[in-house]
Amino acid sequence: MRRLGQRLNQYLVVFVVAVSLNFMLPRLMPGNPLALLAGVDVGLMTPEQRAEVIEQVGLNAPLFDQFVDYWKAVLTGDLGFSFRSGRPISEMIGERLPWTLLITGASLLLSAVIGIVVGSFSAWKRGKKSDLTLLTGMISLQSLPSFWLGMLLISVFAVQLGWLPSFGAVTPASDLTGWANVRDIAEHAVLPIVTLTVLSIPGVYMTMRYSMLEVLGDDFIRTARAKGASETRVLFGHVARNAIAPVVTFLAIRFAFAFGGSVIIETVFSYPGLGRLVFESVSGRDYPVMQAAFLVFTVAVLLANLLADLLYPLLDPRMREA
Amino acid sequence: MTKRWTLPILLVVIAMIATACGDSDESTTTTAAPSGTATTVSLAPGETQPPATTAAPAEPITVRAAITGGEDTINPYTYISGFPGWNLLMMQYDSLMQLDADGIPQPWLADSVTANEDLTQYTMTIVDGATWHDGMPLTVNDVKFTFDYFIENATGRFSRDLRGVESVEVSADGALVVDLAAPNPAFDLVALADIPILPQHVWEGIATPGEQTFDISTNVGSGPFMLTDFQEDQSYRFKANPDYFRGTPAIDELVVIVFADDSGALAAIRSGEVDVIFERVSPEQIELLDAQDPLDISQGPEFTTQMINFDASKAPFDDLAVRQAIELAVDKQDIVDTVFLGAATVGSPGWVHPDKPAYNPEVVPVFDPAAANALLDDAGYADSDGDGIREFDGQPMQFEMLTNSSDSLRLRIAELVSEMLADVGIGVTVASVETATWEEAVWPGFDISNGRNYDIAAWGWSAPVQANTIRIAELVNGDPGVGFLNLTGFANDDVDRVSAALLTEADPAASQALIDELQVLIAENVPFVLLAYPDGAYVYNSDVYADWEFIAGQGIVSKVSLLAPGDRP
Repeated sequence: MRRLGQRLNQYLVVFVVAVSLNFMLPRLMPGNPLALLAGVDVGLMTPEQRAEVIEQVGLNAPLFDQFVDYWKAVLTGDLGFSFRSGRPISEMIGERLPWTLLITGASLLLSAVIGIVVGSFSAWKRGKKSDLTLLTGMISLQSLPSFWLGMLLISVFAVQLGWLPSFGAVTPASDLTGWANVRDIAEHAVLPIVTLTVLSIPGVYMTMRYSMLEVLGDDFIRTARAKGASETRVLFGHVARNAIAPVVTFLAIRFAFAFGGSVIIETVFSYPGLGRLVFESVSGRDYPVMQAAFLVFTVAVLLANLLADLLYPLLDPRMREA
Repeated sequence: MTKRWTLPILLVVIAMIATACGDSDESTTTTAAPSGTATTVSLAPGETQPPATTAAPAEPITVRAAITGGEDTINPYTYISGFPGWNLLMMQYDSLMQLDADGIPQPWLADSVTANEDLTQYTMTIVDGATWHDGMPLTVNDVKFTFDYFIENATGRFSRDLRGVESVEVSADGALVVDLAAPNPAFDLVALADIPILPQHVWEGIATPGEQTFDISTNVGSGPFMLTDFQEDQSYRFKANPDYFRGTPAIDELVVIVFADDSGALAAIRSGEVDVIFERVSPEQIELLDAQDPLDISQGPEFTTQMINFDASKAPFDDLAVRQAIELAVDKQDIVDTVFLGAATVGSPGWVHPDKPAYNPEVVPVFDPAAANALLDDAGYADSDGDGIREFDGQPMQFEMLTNSSDSLRLRIAELVSEMLADVGIGVTVASVETATWEEAVWPGFDISNGRNYDIAAWGWSAPVQANTIRIAELVNGDPGVGFLNLTGFANDDVDRVSAALLTEADPAASQALIDELQVLIAENVPFVLLAYPDGAYVYNSDVYADWEFIAGQGIVSKVSLLAPGDRP
């Protein structure tokens, strides 16, 4: 328990630093939210009108006061209002989050399954031709730029073949309900999910393969074989089970980072998730939305790390404290 | 092992889809239609819409249009961009005058517009039979209310349009009389054809629009389309207004889809998922898209500009010889051919587009690098260390040229220009930065009194600045109150005198004489270098709708394109 307490203290420090940075980041960026606040006609405004706009959103206050207000808001869970639309940010994030969870969650699960299975297989066949082919293939996949892969899939499956929609989460203005709506959503999610999945398989694969190779050398595997267990039983009952712990950690952290990775994918597919919200808010210097979205990312990464920390001893008894 | 995994995965995916569905259902119901009209036309899939006209029971036409970047709730206080934000705003609202295909304002909500001799008083009567989307009649009182409201509650654009208005009154015979403090020959173009008329009964309850959070329930206009649904960063849904005073629109529904970037929109029109792109397509796409059936291109001259700005308030750009040398060193025809593949007009050194009646034909671009070199040699800018770069004040003439990364054509222009300037001994490295960063350097805080943080920048103005020729004064006048778009810090007494006179000249012939003189002065003194006016080219699916009207200088995105040909101005 003492160790857990120390861990929590560390997380607290990281949280305070990260959240403070979230406040500074938008303000350190060159550029000005005025264009967003006043529209493109900002150049036509008198200096008095501009000052009024800045005052309305509280950007004229001393930086320190803004900082204190920001922390108060963070601690009370009040994310404030968007410069762009004037809407409560919690509401905006609430609208966007399910879309991001859908594509990142589904792709993470798919890539976990595929990565673990293929990784185990590869380790089992270590050094053989099938292992080396897979390994080379995975390294090539890992080096694909995400936007390029997304555009390639759009070009093939939406433009050339016409099988799947190329953009958005739903067909606009389609009035679909019930199962037709579920189907529509699923169709729109296919390409983003495939893109994200393809991009995250190699990481899972590498971790699983490496971890398996370590376990395969252990004594208890030799014992299992010696007592006559079948190859499948050895692979899944003994090796994979013991090799899974690092993969779970990897996945937990990967999930948090997938949030950030969704910025590019959601832009390529014009998908209305959290990543798109970040893209639009950064483009327009919508400070409150940027801060709130970064806060969500920060919390997600920290929670994922904490989860991995807590899960690890459960999966690997060697990590438990005496 | 796979078996143990299958069920949980399925469950989680289904749960996620369900969460997402629940969310989208909820947001559709919360953004309900403003005026009750939507409930009467809300259709289940498969159901057909009652025919809009009795003439022929045609299939309802839905046009799906792509835009890049959201426009919030598109009312006069919330739309974001001048283009296409204002254009979408005006699908729902009407102005007193409307631009025709030649870009000339014609009477619209006003059925007559007359001005007194010295252009200080405009008198208008309002058409009979125009109604608001909620069925209330549109009267002259709404127009007066609108003018007063915009004067009292500032917006960037419409309040600026109305500066100089002294009084707005309704006369005994029901005409609107607007008195101006000074003659304004462009009042019809900048104000009457620009300002959306608001319904008094909706807006009089909104005391401080700047602090109001709007949903689409305030979007009650008189225009041919009614906004019935809005999903942030996803789509807008406009239904045709069957009672439109000019006649029922030519299409039944306009769905505007918000893309994150232009490549998404291009993929969607090629896959048949959208029917028109409201942003211009880039020159290298024109032929490719036109070759694909049923896509077609509508192309014509537009008034946006591509130019080079320099900080003329500091060395070496405060020296006329340097500015003239840059003007002479740049091969504008090459830029039009190489970057725009011919789909642009060569920039006039006098700012005014050659297709405009106000253009002075004596002002023509000259490309002469030898003359540029001679000018710089004579002015004493020698290359003393033989590195190919001249020196000024003991420093090399080596500068950073800023450009915005979101405009790939502008980046190519900047690269070409840097090569051209190298030929006359001026070293330029191109720095492509994100748009907000670029704006902040060239136009800090959008207020020229904040100065400038750049040496050279590739720049461009939106169409309205060129459309109204008189605005030339705003670009070149040295007094920040007048020349509030003078981003280069340029100052010249002759230019100041002529441009100030232009702003208040009521007599059309005298005004044109001043514009002619000003073009000559600008070409001589080079406050900036105008490279090209890119053509507008728009791609549309001609199977779905083909009657797009290209308004000279403005493009196809306007209500005019979506009205029956007989109902257009």
